[in-house]
Amino acid sequence: MTSSPVQTLTAAARAVAATKIYGSGDTEVRALDAIEVTFEQGRFTAIMGPSGSGKSTLMHCMAGLDTVTSGQVIIGDTDLTTLSEKQLTLLRRDHVGFVFQAYNLVPTLTAIENITLPMDLAGTTGDKAWIDDVVGATGLTDRVKHRPNELSGGQQQRVAVARALAGQPQIIFADEPTGNVDSNTAAEILGFMRNAVAEMGQTIVMVTHDPVAASYADRVVFLVDGKIVDELHEPTPASIRDHMTRLGA
Amino acid sequence: MLKLAWRNVTQRKIRFALTMLPIVLGVMFVVAVFTLTDSLRATFSGLADDISSGIDLTVRATQEFGSDLDRPTVPDSLVPAIEAVDGVREVHPGVAAFNVVIVDGAGAAIVPQGPPALGFNYSDAAFFLVEGRQPGGPGEFAADVDTVSDNDLAIGSVYAINGPETVESFELVGTFNFGSPDEHSSLGQTMAAFDLDTAQRFLGFGDEVIDVGVVVEPDASPATVKSDLEALLDDSYEVITQQAAADEQRADFDDVLSIFGTILSVFAFIALFVSAFIINNVFQITISQRVRELGLWRSIGATPGQLVQSVLVESAAVGAVATVVGAVAGVGLSRVLMVVLRAGGFGLPEGPLSVRPRTLVLAAVVGVGVSVAASLSPALRTRRVAPIAALHPDYLLDRTGMRRRLVGGTATLAVGAVLVALALFNLFGTVVTLVLAGVGALLSFVGINIVSPAFAAVAARVLGRPVAALMRVPGRLARDNAARNPRRTASTAGALMIGLALVALAAVVGASVTRTFVKTLENSVEADYFVSSSAGGFNPNAGFPVQVVDDLAALDEIDSVAGFRFAFGAIQVNGSVKDVFAGDMSILDEHFDTDLRSGAMASGDPATAIALHVDPAEDLGVSVGDTLEVTFPDNETDTLTVAAVFGDARIYGNWVIDTSTWDRHFNRSDFAFASATIAGFSDDLDAASQQRLLDESRIAIDGVLEAYPTVQAENRVEFRQSQQAQLDSLLIVINVFLALSLIIAFAGIAITLALSVFERTREIGLLRAVGMTRRQLRRSVRWEAAIVATFGAVLGVAVGVVAGVAATVAMPDSFVTDIAVPVGSLAVYVVISALLGLLAAAFPARRAGRMKILEAIAHE
Ligand SMILES: Nc1ncnc2c1ncn2[C@@H]1O[C@H](COP(=O)(O)OP(=O)(O)OP(=O)(O)O)[C@@H](O)[C@H]1O
Ligand SMILES: [Mg+2]
Repeated sequence: MTSSPVQTLTAAARAVAATKIYGSGDTEVRALDAIEVTFEQGRFTAIMGPSGSGKSTLMHCMAGLDTVTSGQVIIGDTDLTTLSEKQLTLLRRDHVGFVFQAYNLVPTLTAIENITLPMDLAGTTGDKAWIDDVVGATGLTDRVKHRPNELSGGQQQRVAVARALAGQPQIIFADEPTGNVDSNTAAEILGFMRNAVAEMGQTIVMVTHDPVAASYADRVVFLVDGKIVDELHEPTPASIRDHMTRLGA
Repeated sequence: MLKLAWRNVTQRKIRFALTMLPIVLGVMFVVAVFTLTDSLRATFSGLADDISSGIDLTVRATQEFGSDLDRPTVPDSLVPAIEAVDGVREVHPGVAAFNVVIVDGAGAAIVPQGPPALGFNYSDAAFFLVEGRQPGGPGEFAADVDTVSDNDLAIGSVYAINGPETVESFELVGTFNFGSPDEHSSLGQTMAAFDLDTAQRFLGFGDEVIDVGVVVEPDASPATVKSDLEALLDDSYEVITQQAAADEQRADFDDVLSIFGTILSVFAFIALFVSAFIINNVFQITISQRVRELGLWRSIGATPGQLVQSVLVESAAVGAVATVVGAVAGVGLSRVLMVVLRAGGFGLPEGPLSVRPRTLVLAAVVGVGVSVAASLSPALRTRRVAPIAALHPDYLLDRTGMRRRLVGGTATLAVGAVLVALALFNLFGTVVTLVLAGVGALLSFVGINIVSPAFAAVAARVLGRPVAALMRVPGRLARDNAARNPRRTASTAGALMIGLALVALAAVVGASVTRTFVKTLENSVEADYFVSSSAGGFNPNAGFPVQVVDDLAALDEIDSVAGFRFAFGAIQVNGSVKDVFAGDMSILDEHFDTDLRSGAMASGDPATAIALHVDPAEDLGVSVGDTLEVTFPDNETDTLTVAAVFGDARIYGNWVIDTSTWDRHFNRSDFAFASATIAGFSDDLDAASQQRLLDESRIAIDGVLEAYPTVQAENRVEFRQSQQAQLDSLLIVINVFLALSLIIAFAGIAITLALSVFERTREIGLLRAVGMTRRQLRRSVRWEAAIVATFGAVLGVAVGVVAGVAATVAMPDSFVTDIAVPVGSLAVYVVISALLGLLAAAFPARRAGRMKILEAIAHE
């Protein structure tokens, strides 16, 4: 596959020589190894790689949930490595969305309360029309008053994505958002994310092990041993599988 | 299964420590109470021996009934006859009186706080001269070394002394140790000693003495002398040995100590009971959290019985460790309390701590017992854990159905309430009453605790509404989390409920007593001044010189003055012993309106008059003009004529006699209390004239009282305030005693919340990930505690008000007739509880705030 030019697009987030080391001495693990990666605005990027290659670590460091050992992580114009713990919290609240593999929702809050949680925490009301649109897009309009334990796993994940979208953040990170659901449900969630990028202009970065899931993205980045080893644009499941086999070889 | 229990103990150190805390506190308090009272008992026992050691035999009058204070006296003419008995070496006739108060050089009365101010005749059997010489004449006295040094008294100086009848000046001629030659056995009392003649006159004994101490010749046998003395004297006298005297003294000390010990033990057991709630809650929570693990044990072949057993063994281990820690801390606490008591002027003699095996056994029984009993219900719940629980991450133990809860809880509550009611109506002996009240209260609290989860969620939502409105997301989470697990919220709140119920109960009874008092003052009291003494304290017979009443009555500004005395169990009518009140019957009706049903106090000859309440009058079938045979502690019987039957027993109690009748039969003469009316004062006067009369009389009274530094006269307003202040300080003491239970309850809130926070680790991680600041998170945890605390406080106040009203209704009318609920102070208690809840949550909130986001999210 040929690469299409990306220079015209602005960066939503970048990692510059980002290195993350866990432990020290004998037990030292270099989870990210001077990684250089840019996620452009309005695009859907998938990250793939073998287990332990540093995908989750990259997501966490980029989203301000963790800090890099050296190098820089930049969201918009902000260098995360210069921020205090409190500033990182506010950055996550106001400018970053995050979707975990499971247990994304606060059990005591209803679906809609979960969706507006970051805004409520900030004490703002958010863009009402936009939130309605997002809720509409989840297809759960008539269930928003339900609590998480009354929703299916797929519905819960859609609510989680809706929460990430509701505050119109700079960028959304999703770590294996479909890792715990069947393929039909996965298709629902992925379609929803795809739409958010295509129609709402969101920027999404998603970790997945599934070539089909990755094929919803505009671009696939391959990670091995904490380094980007390859990337693929306008992927299809077949082309992804093809790449993976080559990397494994 | 032992291994499983042990594993749980060692692996969960913090949780283990948290579980132990309430038992440690409870056991500590129990051990401290018992060690303290045992140590005091040992010390006092030694003191009793010391005090009695100088005298071999004591001759005194026999007494049929009444308090030792009112024992008939012995004429001093008997002394030579006793001295003449073979084998008698020395005789020590003795007199003593309470409220003999020395006025120091600066004109201030030396009034010990609690212990009595005593006057004696100087006896070299019990008094050992330290400096100067023995008092030897009408104008001389000696004082104990402590009183002299603490108040800078100087030998050779002249001091005024307030006696039972008059105030006179005496020269201090010497100082002495009491009890033993080398050391003064002080219990904080002050002691003034005179020569026998002076003491008899000044202390109001005339030619009588209280008893005659006998020292026998070294070669004579006390037993022989005793029987010789008994042969000499008729049967209105008795002779007791040194041993018997020491035992009586010990019994007197013991009475005080037992009351003290019983009160403290009651509070200690309340604290333990509160601990049981917390322990129950902790085990309940930890078992829910361990359901998967328990399921795993089941799936690899553990029987349900083995699971139950492992929980019980674990709780016994918790109880055992807590007992050891608590016992050590308790001994330490008793040492501290001893130092505090000593510093508080109670003048306790030095003595070793007495840690008896009985105390330690009790501590172990209580510590392990409470722990095991409290974990019984959670242990039994483990039987419901199915092996499948191991595989289901969200497996929940089924809960007791609400219907069963309501039925079971209400039934328990009802049984408890019936027991308390039986106790309140006092149909049985004291011990049975106490046990009934205790068990009843216990069952009632357990019943409420079984029922309360049924409404805990709703209550938490309602109470949390303002919090949610005020604090947005943190407030909303606080509210929802408080409502999330009704059982947990209910039993956390339950611990606080108990403490607050007791606080509210005391507040309601206190307010009712105050209201009754105020109403009595407004409606039934005609007197304008109330005279009392600051000397007194533990001594029930606080008193001041008789002369005060005469001096006040002599004032132009004062119309009449009535001096009062009373004695418990001091008269016998128709074979049963009654409390009696004595006052000047010719003027009583001018001072107090006691709702006369027939007759008048002043009708007839006061010297042979008696007045009584309608209830005993009806019981005995007597009315005005009838006569009653009344026996006094001096074993004399008078025929008294009923002068009045009254309907209000709040002021005098049921039985009233005249001052002159008292003087014939009692050797105590000081007045406990007096009331005075202002000349020309009436409610019809305009305010300005009333004020003028008040001002003038105040100046005149103050002029008289200058000579009596222990005596104060209060007008109606001041009297009301000082009574209120006394009641308030009593309530404060009760609240201080309940403080331990409250501390345990708040520790319980902290512990439960810490466990809840741990349980919600992943959720907390998530909240932090989506942008909740640490501060918001801490705030949410704190306000959850505030909501739970408020729930417990409101519940406790509600229960306390119901119990308080019931208690007030059940109390005798002579004590309290009006019911008052102090809404203001109860509201303050609730607010304070909410604030303390916030404070208690500081630790779990900090833990929540410190959680690492990624670890928290990965937490299972
Ligand atoms: N908290 C930690 N402490 C020590 N090492 C860690 C920690 N978290 C991750 N690692 C290590 O860092 C490396 C990268 O882990 P990471 O979780 O990012 O991998 P991943 O690509 O997400 O794997 P998977 O596909 O299994 O989720 C691994 O070797 C892992 O063991
Ligand atoms: Mg991962």
